[in-house]
Amino acid sequence: MAVDAGTARAIADLARLSLARGAGETEGPGPGGDSADLERVAGEMSKIVGYMEILNECATEGVEPMYSPMTDPQPPRADEPRETGVGSGDWILDGAPETFGRFFSVPRIF
Amino acid sequence: MASDPNLTSLTLAEAREGLLKRDFSSAELVRATLDRIDETEPRVQACLHVLRDKALADAAALDGAGPDRSKPLWGLPVTVKDVFLVRGAPTTAGSRMLSGYMPGFEAGVVTRLRAAGAVITAKTNLDEFAMGSSTEFSAFRPTRNPWNLSRVPGGSSGGAAAGISARQAPGAFGTDTGGSIRQPAALCGCVGLKPTYGRVSRYGIVAYGSSLDQAGPLARTVGDCGMLFGAVAGPDGRDSTSSRVPLEDLSAMTPPEASKLRFALPRELWEGRFDTEVEKVLSSARRVMESAGIRLEAVSMPSIRYSVAAYYVIAAAEASTNLARYDGVRYGLRAPGRGDLLSLYRESRTEGLGPEARRRILLGTFALSSGYYDAYYRKAAQVRRLIHEEYARILGEFDFILAPVSSIPAWPFGSFTDDPLTQYQLDVMTLPLNLAGGPGLSLPAGLGADGLPVGIQIQGPHFREKPLLEAGMLLESMFPRLPEPAFVSG
Repeated sequence: MAVDAGTARAIADLARLSLARGAGETEGPGPGGDSADLERVAGEMSKIVGYMEILNECATEGVEPMYSPMTDPQPPRADEPRETGVGSGDWILDGAPETFGRFFSVPRIF
Repeated sequence: MASDPNLTSLTLAEAREGLLKRDFSSAELVRATLDRIDETEPRVQACLHVLRDKALADAAALDGAGPDRSKPLWGLPVTVKDVFLVRGAPTTAGSRMLSGYMPGFEAGVVTRLRAAGAVITAKTNLDEFAMGSSTEFSAFRPTRNPWNLSRVPGGSSGGAAAGISARQAPGAFGTDTGGSIRQPAALCGCVGLKPTYGRVSRYGIVAYGSSLDQAGPLARTVGDCGMLFGAVAGPDGRDSTSSRVPLEDLSAMTPPEASKLRFALPRELWEGRFDTEVEKVLSSARRVMESAGIRLEAVSMPSIRYSVAAYYVIAAAEASTNLARYDGVRYGLRAPGRGDLLSLYRESRTEGLGPEARRRILLGTFALSSGYYDAYYRKAAQVRRLIHEEYARILGEFDFILAPVSSIPAWPFGSFTDDPLTQYQLDVMTLPLNLAGGPGLSLPAGLGADGLPVGIQIQGPHFREKPLLEAGMLLESMFPRLPEPAFVSG
């Protein structure tokens, strides 16, 4: 299938990525540091998604999808506290771009 | 100070012997490899972070306690790809998104390397988030191939492979999601092992495709890969996909008898178009194997035809999910945004993620989105089942599968950066194995007249790394031994 500019825009929105405005568009996410234009991204996606349609030539009726190559069962481990080596140190908050006291900080939501 | 070639050209096994006999100390060996990194980095650019002070301190501490035969990697310098978390060192995964990120814990592989006595000397370059086949998609700099500095080293573990080849280290760890250990090993003339999915802990490794990612070693000999693999393999309760299938005893490895071996050669991989020099080296390798009495038989694995499409749907879907965590809030890069949370997410991600990571996120989001899920993601997972079954069938009849690693040798920079689909299609030799989950070993088959190394790979049944390595040792003894790259001796 061809991925049109509208679909590319919708997918980019879902993925929380900016694409620059396409030719003739007045609406769009606007600045975001990406110089790629919407048509170019849509064209590139069309080419790749078009290639993926080769999958339709493969007969898979009744085939159980395989989401992981794991073969042995993984029983849950005992639910008991143990030392992980991760600790609860300040390093977690130290790595945050912005904090407020002991919390991660984000722009106002409401 | 010039590095000591007598130390930097040693294999891991040779270096271990020298350390245990006290011919040289760990500090001397580690210092020689660090000096070698200093000398070669301006041209090769294999490393993102060199851990000089920590490595020298670790080596001195080991020397203080004296050689320990019970530790399989005692005193040996090893590099890790910059997706393995190392305490006290940055982890960027080759992305601006993680510039300056300092993890507070360590990858399972790194913990085991230290317990085995290894000294981590550097964190190596890669395509951003391990997405790529040339290391050109590193956000920081491309790595150059020591065999020809105008060529790529392959990828995504390009820094690991180039570093081994440039004698910066005798051993390295990388990750292989669709060929990212085997292909750079082939393009740089070294050996690379992709273990069975679940054989090596993924704990503390920056995730790309969680049902495909597997960590493994690169080195200059098959035996060295076995040493590195044996030191880190085995169950880890902190990785829920880590397998509890018992590990084989790797302490005594014996190459099998050639006349007893049967290899399957999938037509779908051998009958395509090859670069002339690659074709010549591979033909010669097959002839050498046959004249030694190894039986090579052509087989058909028809689902391989769909493997590139299935892989890129699944890997992109998993990448889009894994990379959703980079939101500019808890760690990593944060763009100013426009006062609201959504624009903060969007601008942080757009600024922090490079073109290939963004492309795969978009593809994966598409394949997982409502209305397309069944046609792409579920369908790809069904095809994956067929590929898995084909591998099981062939490996039930034959000892191993023999395959090329790349149809072309290391290519000039920029050849495919604007043509992602062609680049994806070049991965057809390596990625079917990741879909199936089994182990594969890439080793040098020879050198083309163009002076570029050519690799060949063998693939075996799940969790049977030992016979795979043993067969690799046999082939290694038959194939021409590569000289040092001119860059190294010159």
